[in-house]
Amino acid sequence: MKKLFLLPVTLVFILGGTYILADDDHDDERRYKKNEYSLSNIKQIQMSPEVKLYISECSACHMAYQKEFLPKRSWNKMMDTLENHFGVDATVEPEDKKTLTEYLTSASSKYIDRHITKTAASSRGDETPLRISNTPYFKKEHRKIPRNLIKQKEVKSIANCNLCHTNAQKGDYRESSIFIPNYGRWDD
Amino acid sequence: MKVFIVTMFLSLLVFAQSSVVNTYLKTLNSEVLKKDSTFKGFDSKRGEIIFTSKHIGKKGKDISCVSCHGNDLSNKGENFFTGKVIDPLSPSTNVERLSNLKNIKKWLRRNFKDVYKREGTAKEKGDVLVYIMSK
Repeated sequence: MKKLFLLPVTLVFILGGTYILADDDHDDERRYKKNEYSLSNIKQIQMSPEVKLYISECSACHMAYQKEFLPKRSWNKMMDTLENHFGVDATVEPEDKKTLTEYLTSASSKYIDRHITKTAASSRGDETPLRISNTPYFKKEHRKIPRNLIKQKEVKSIANCNLCHTNAQKGDYRESSIFIPNYGRWDD
Repeated sequence: MKVFIVTMFLSLLVFAQSSVVNTYLKTLNSEVLKKDSTFKGFDSKRGEIIFTSKHIGKKGKDISCVSCHGNDLSNKGENFFTGKVIDPLSPSTNVERLSNLKNIKKWLRRNFKDVYKREGTAKEKGDVLVYIMSK
């Protein structure tokens, strides 16, 4: 009986250890399952009113980038410069600005793709990046992508994550879910 | 019975929408009258010119409202800069359009600044709204 009890405990240790050691781009089935779990978590968070507001206010024009992509100081600056948001007026009502800033600078979700957290962590402490695509980790990860694949009409801009990272909106940026239009899977 | 309920619901939606935008149009109308006592009401022809004429916008590109919303407002549009799909602007195709005062004001403010680099006047806003409603 004791042995039967030990079995699940041992399994948890083995699986947990594998998860910690697993490389981002060499996902085994267990890590995938863990990731699926994380996605269902993100879905639940998406039900909250502040996420609904984030989607309705920001994602009317572009993908709803996961807030963990940028450090908090970036979001504060972003929300203070909405009257000229990459050349576009993206102003919101004062009460919505408050809610959105609070959400964007709130604690990171527990289960978040490591590609996302690495992106935010890669910018220098004295810099306040506004473009995710200007961060060192982002540039490094995309340096081999030919420009014509980014500029093609099916993608249009490096800012359209979801057009190549097919699960981007769910927070999954693993290499296994990349599919570049008119090219196919990307194997680094 | 089901059909009846659905019809009632839809007509309620349309009614709610028209009342929101019509109330706003009345407000805009009295704003215009304050400055111009000879004002005869909003005109979709003037609205069409505002909507379709090109200007060097905030981002330095020659754009009009059509650049993102397209020529046929009952069809989907596409953001000129990001490529993101925009739901049809025509309220007869898309019942959600012009149904929320906060959204109406927000997009008129943002988009006038994007295309005209300034806020629209009460007259211009009313003309554009009447034009969109006619589509």
